[in-house]
Amino acid sequence: MSLELTSQVGNIVLTSGNAGAAAEAAASAAAEAASSTGALSPSAAAALGVGLAAFGAGYAERGIGAAAVGAMAENEDLFVRGLILTVLPETLVILALVAIFLV
Amino acid sequence: MSTPGMNASSGSPGSSNPEYVTARVRARRGVLFDDDEYSKLVRMSPAEIARYMEESEYEQEINALGSRHSGVDLIEYALNRNLARHFDALLGFAEGQLYDLIARYLRKFDAWNVKTVFRGVYTDADSEAVETDMIRAGEFDDALINRLLEAGTVEDVVTVLDGTMFGDAVDAAFEDFQESETLVPLENAVDRAFYEQLLGTLPSGEAIDLYREFLEAEIDFRNVRNALRLARSGAEIDPGEYFIDGGRLFSASEMTTLVENTDELVARIRESRYGTKLSEPLDELEAADSLIDFERALEGVLLRYSKQLGNVHPLSICPVVAYILMKEREVTNIRAIARGREAGLSETAIEQELVIL
Repeated sequence: MSLELTSQVGNIVLTSGNAGAAAEAAASAAAEAASSTGALSPSAAAALGVGLAAFGAGYAERGIGAAAVGAMAENEDLFVRGLILTVLPETLVILALVAIFLV
Repeated sequence: MSTPGMNASSGSPGSSNPEYVTARVRARRGVLFDDDEYSKLVRMSPAEIARYMEESEYEQEINALGSRHSGVDLIEYALNRNLARHFDALLGFAEGQLYDLIARYLRKFDAWNVKTVFRGVYTDADSEAVETDMIRAGEFDDALINRLLEAGTVEDVVTVLDGTMFGDAVDAAFEDFQESETLVPLENAVDRAFYEQLLGTLPSGEAIDLYREFLEAEIDFRNVRNALRLARSGAEIDPGEYFIDGGRLFSASEMTTLVENTDELVARIRESRYGTKLSEPLDELEAADSLIDFERALEGVLLRYSKQLGNVHPLSICPVVAYILMKEREVTNIRAIARGREAGLSETAIEQELVIL
């Protein structure tokens, strides 16, 4: 279910970004219907992209955060290092923000 | 998500948290004694070793036990307690499937405790002496251990064990014990029960498959060690009794024939998948005929194996088991140093006793 949704969203983002031809061939009927009616404006697609990037960053931080807290529990001096490593995936979201300025 | 070692949990609730556990395990691995510290310890007297330990990881235990014990006993009990504290902590912060796998491995100490109680009861040692030898690192809680300690006869111990994972096996072996009047059947039953649950219904996954191979190697090494010891002792014992199921190297009946022919046994190990790893120790075994060195080499190989596995699958049970083995090794090493110094062995002789990676 969620996988299907992701691929559809991906298709929508691709087609509305005019990278259509290749994507359309593989697109499901539902995605085609969505793109042909133009349900998604470019800025909405960019916003979705940023949201997905934030989702990925959150997932990455889950593991790093757990490990960092574990390391801090053993040695408090690792707090700063742990904090830096934990927020590193945030760069993903910052890079994704570029899409907002391009559309 | 099918990250190795993170499949659906079985047994304990929640999903496993390998990131957290392995981070803590790695930190604890970092404070284990290294080569330099060992070479310092080898030059110390038992009292100095105790003082050195007081300024390290073992501070808490040395302080707690310092008023009641002294010398090598103090060191030994402090080591055991520290080991138990660390391993208990492991169980404390692991969750889900990871907890399950760690607990399985740590039941080794339950088996150890049960065997100690059997021996204590059998030799009529007082329960206080037995209690100091307990390593409370397994899953048995204090109430159960106290009940075991209160048991006056071997039969009582068997009754107390009823319902634990050793219950059925010990029950079945009790008749043999009554016939033979030796503890061997009971001890073997305990060992077998432990190894059976260790390998039984392991979950699937890439990391777990490698872990299973490691456990099989551990069992194989144990069988090899037993076979060689039996061959050396020349005693009229059925080697099949000591055989532990689950290894890949040979079956119980094969072990019986191989014990009678050591050369064939060595050849068999050479041809097996452990051949390359063990070729050097095997050469030495054939040349020097020293079983002690070979056994130490086996432990070294197993330790390196677990460590390497921990690097291949950093987010799984593997690094945790590597840590457990390394910590156990440290405890054995320090004990060997302390006992060796007490007995007046030379520094080089003690250094030969150590397994250091």
